[in-house]
Amino acid sequence: MNDRPELFRGNRIFLSCIYWAFVLYVFVPLILMVIMGFKDSNFIGFPIRSWTLEWYTGVFADAEVISTFGYSVAIAVLSTLISVFVGTWIAVLLEGRKFFGRMAMFGLTVLPALVPGIISAIAFRIYARYLGIEPGMGAIIWAHAVHNVPFVVLVVMARLSTLPKSQIEAARDLGADPLISFIRITLPYLVPAILGASIFCLLLSFDDFVRSFFLGGYDPTLPVLIFAKLRSGMSPEINAIATVALVLTAAIGIWAERFTRRMNKDS
Amino acid sequence: MSKLIYNRRRFLGTAAATGAALASPAYLRRAMAQGSGEVNIWTYNDFVPDAFREQFEAETGIKVNVRLVDDQGKQFNLLAAEQPNPTVDIMTVAGHRFLQFIDSELLAPLDTDRLSNWGNINPTFSESDWATINGSKWGAPILSGMEVLSYNSDIVSAEEAMTWDTLFSEKYSGQTAYIIQDMMSIVMLMKGYDGNMVEYMDDPEKAAEIVEEAKTFLIEHKPLVRKYYDGGAEFQQMMVNQDIVLGHSWNGPAAALINDGFPLGMTIPQEGSYGFVYTFNIANNAPNADNAYTFLDALLASPEIGAAMTKASGFISTYKGADQHLTELERKSTSFPEEQLANLQFFRAEANDMKYGLVDPAVEAIKAA
Amino acid sequence: MTYEAPARQDGPAAAQTSADRTFWGRLAGWGPYHALMRLATASPRRQFLLLAAFPILWVLTQHLGPMLQMLRVSLTDAYPVAPGVEQSFTLDNYARFFGDSIFWMPFFRTLIFAGVFTFCTLIITYPVAYFLARHVSRKNQMLFLLLLLIPFWVGEIVRTYAIMILLGNTGAVNLLLKTIGLIDRPIPFMYTSFSMGVGIVYLTALYMLLPLYSALEKLPKSMNEAAADLGAGAWTRFRRVSLPLTIEGISSGCTLVFLISTGFYATPVLLGGPSTTVFAETIAGFFHVAGDEWPTGAAFATIMFMAALLITATFQRLMRMLRKGENA
Repeated sequence: MNDRPELFRGNRIFLSCIYWAFVLYVFVPLILMVIMGFKDSNFIGFPIRSWTLEWYTGVFADAEVISTFGYSVAIAVLSTLISVFVGTWIAVLLEGRKFFGRMAMFGLTVLPALVPGIISAIAFRIYARYLGIEPGMGAIIWAHAVHNVPFVVLVVMARLSTLPKSQIEAARDLGADPLISFIRITLPYLVPAILGASIFCLLLSFDDFVRSFFLGGYDPTLPVLIFAKLRSGMSPEINAIATVALVLTAAIGIWAERFTRRMNKDS
Repeated sequence: MSKLIYNRRRFLGTAAATGAALASPAYLRRAMAQGSGEVNIWTYNDFVPDAFREQFEAETGIKVNVRLVDDQGKQFNLLAAEQPNPTVDIMTVAGHRFLQFIDSELLAPLDTDRLSNWGNINPTFSESDWATINGSKWGAPILSGMEVLSYNSDIVSAEEAMTWDTLFSEKYSGQTAYIIQDMMSIVMLMKGYDGNMVEYMDDPEKAAEIVEEAKTFLIEHKPLVRKYYDGGAEFQQMMVNQDIVLGHSWNGPAAALINDGFPLGMTIPQEGSYGFVYTFNIANNAPNADNAYTFLDALLASPEIGAAMTKASGFISTYKGADQHLTELERKSTSFPEEQLANLQFFRAEANDMKYGLVDPAVEAIKAA
Repeated sequence: MTYEAPARQDGPAAAQTSADRTFWGRLAGWGPYHALMRLATASPRRQFLLLAAFPILWVLTQHLGPMLQMLRVSLTDAYPVAPGVEQSFTLDNYARFFGDSIFWMPFFRTLIFAGVFTFCTLIITYPVAYFLARHVSRKNQMLFLLLLLIPFWVGEIVRTYAIMILLGNTGAVNLLLKTIGLIDRPIPFMYTSFSMGVGIVYLTALYMLLPLYSALEKLPKSMNEAAADLGAGAWTRFRRVSLPLTIEGISSGCTLVFLISTGFYATPVLLGGPSTTVFAETIAGFFHVAGDEWPTGAAFATIMFMAALLITATFQRLMRMLRKGENA
C-alpha cells in the first residue's frame, strides 16, 4: 500500500513485531480463560489434573444463562441506537461552530463518561427515581445510552473535523437544504466513525456491571449474573459462560457485517 | 457445583428446555406472569435451592423472582434508594447488620407465629443474643458462617494454625491475606478485648484506645501481608495460585476449596473468633408480605433444604438435623471440634455505631500507611 | 442509497445531478417539505436554534441532572434520609477530606498512578496504532483493529481473574519460566503495582487506541515520503512529521485515559497489593459500608473529579502551547 515499500521496510517489520506482541498481551488472558473452561474442578488455575466438557455443555443447558445473554444483547443494541442518534446530533452541533457556551456544552456532553462508575450508578439510580423510571430493562437502557453518548460525540467529532467544508458549501450553492446536504453528504462521510462508535458503545454496555446492577430489576444482565456467581468462587463455569458469550457475540457481529454488506450490494 | 448443574439439566431436559428458553426468554415470561401471585427475593447465588424453588412454585402457584446480590452494602443502598415503596419482599441480611437496616426502617419485624416451622431452626441461632432487637425478631436464620484461619495443609502444620499469631509471623511473610475490617475485630480479640465493643459502650475513650492499638498492630505487620482482600473468590484464587499459604477467611469459601479436594485446613484459633448468621428478612412495606411468609415457612420445612443450601454455599445450615443429609466430606468441611467451637462468639450489633465509627477510619489509615 | 458511492467520490455535483430522480430530489421538490424547510431555515438564528434545542435539552436533563443530584447529596448531612430526621445542608463532607491526612495518600497515589499508566499506555499503543494506520492495507485495517477489541467483550472480572492465573505463583508465566529452567522459586508478580499495571493498561489501551488511530489515519502519507526523500531518518520523520501532526489525537487520548483511570475500581482492587489502595476504593467504601456515609462518598467523588478535570485542563493547555510552538 505504500507506493515505495522498500523505503519503510525496516520500520514495518519493527512495528509489526510490536503489534503482534500487543496482540499476544491482549489475547493470552483470553486463551487462559478458554482453556480453564475445560478444567475438571470447581476452581480455575494451574495445575490442571483432568479435563471435562461438562462446563461448556452446561452453559447451553442453562436456560438462565441463555436468556440473560439475550437480555444483555438487547440492552446493548437498543442503548447503542439511542447513543448514536443523540451523539451524532450533538457532534454536528459542536463541530466547527462557534457559539456562546460552546465550551460549557462540550463539558456537559463529556460529563457522563468521566464520572467514576459507582458514583454514576448511584446518581442514575437517584435520578431515575426522581424521574419516575422503574428499575428494569428501560432504566438500564437509559443509563447505558446516556453514559455512552460522550464516546459517540468524541469519535464523530474527530471524523467531522476532516470533512472538507467545500463539499457542503458546494451542495448548498447548488440548492440543497441543510437537512438534505446532511443526509446526502455528511452522513455517508460519517459512516466509519458511526460504526466504530457503535462497536464501542455495544462493548461498553455489554460489559457494564455497576449501572446494570443498580438500575436493574429481577433479571440480571450477564455481568451481574457473573458477579453473583463469583461469590461462590471463580469456577470454570464462569469461564465457559464468558467464552460462549464471546463466541456468540462474535458470530452475531460477523453475521451483521455480512448482512449490511449484502444490503449495500443489493441496493 | 457440577452435580448441581447435572441435576438442573436432568430437571429441564436438555435440548427441549434450551429451545423453549430461547423462544421465550425468562424476562418476557416474567413480564407476562405479573398480576398473579409472586414473591421477590434478593439473595446470594445458591442460597435458594433450584429444586426447592421449582417445587414451591408448582405447589403454591406463587412465582419466585430472585435477584442476585453480591454484598450487604449493595442491598442496603438499593433498598434505601427504593424506600418507601420497595419492590422486594425478602432480602438476605447478616444478623450483625440488622441495626443499620432497622434504624433506617427498611425491615419489618418478623411475626414468628406465622411460621409453623420456626421450631425447625436450631435455637443456638434463632434464640441467640443478636437475634432479638427492640423486643422483636427480624429475620429467619438460614445459614451461618464464621471467621476462620485457613491454611494450606501441605505447607502449614495444624499446630501452627491453632493461633492467629502465625498469621503475623516472619515465617510466612508475603504469604498471608486477610479481610482488613474483619481482622480488626479479631486483633482486638487476640489482645484480650471485646471485638464487638459492647463492653465499652459507656467508655468511648477506652474503645478508641483499643481500636488505636489494633490499628497500630496491623500497620506494624503490614510489610508481612501479601494482600488485603474483599471477596471469597479472591481468597480461593490466591490459595489455588499459591500466592498465599495461610489467611483469614470465612468458612464458606474455605469449605468450597476443601470439597474440591484442595489440601486446605481451617481452624477456630485458641484466641477465639466471630460467627455471623445470614437471615431472610421481610422488607418494610413489602408488596407481597403474605407470600413472603408462605415462602419462608416452606423453606424452613425440612432439613434436606437446609442441607442443599449448605452444599451449594459451603456455609453451615441453621436447621436442626441438616448435617444428616450431607456427605462425609461435606460434613467435615462444615464442622469444627467442640473445643474449637467453644472459642466462637457471634458478632453483635449493639455497639456498631461506635465500633464502625472508629474502625472504618482505622481501616483507611491502615490501607494508606 | 443508490447514489451513495458517486456522492462520496464526486461530492455534491453528483448528488445534485441525480437529485431530480432520487427520493431526496423528489422530497426536496415536494411542496409541504419545501415550505417547512424554508420556515426552519429562514434565518441562521432559527436554524441554529432548531439544531441546538434537542442537544441542549438532552445534556441538561440527562447529563447534568444525575450529577446535580450527586452534588446535592454531597452537601447534605444524611442520605438516604431516615424517617423523622431533618435533612440539612453542610460543607462538612468536603471539610472531612481536607481535615484528615489519611485520605490524601490514596488520593495523590491515584493521580500519580493515572498519570504513569496513561503514559505507559501511550507508549505501548502509539506504535500499534501507527502500524495499523500506516502499514496495514485499508481493507484490513478494520479487521486488525477489531482483533484488538475482541478481548474487551469478555467482562472485566473474568479477564482480571485470567490475569491472576497468568501471573500467580503457580500461574502460566511462572510455570513457563520454571519449565525452561530460568527460575527455581516462583516470582511473586501478583498484588504489586506491576500486576496492577498489566490489568489497567489492558483497560486503557482501548480508550487510547481509537483516538490515536483516527489521528494517524488522517495523516497524509505523502508527507512521510517527502521527508524520507529529503533524507530524514525514521526517528526524525517520526519526531518532525508524525508526532506534531498527531498531537491532537495524543492529547485527546491521554485526557480520556487519565480521567477514566482515576475512576477504575474493580481491576486495581483485585490486582493491586496492600500498598496500592486507590481513591476509588476509598470512595466505594463510603457506599458499601454504612448508610449515612453516602454524602461523604459523593463529596469525595466530586473532589476527585474536580482534581482530575483541573489536571487535564492544564495538560490540554500545555499541549496547545506546544502545538503553537511547533508551528511558529
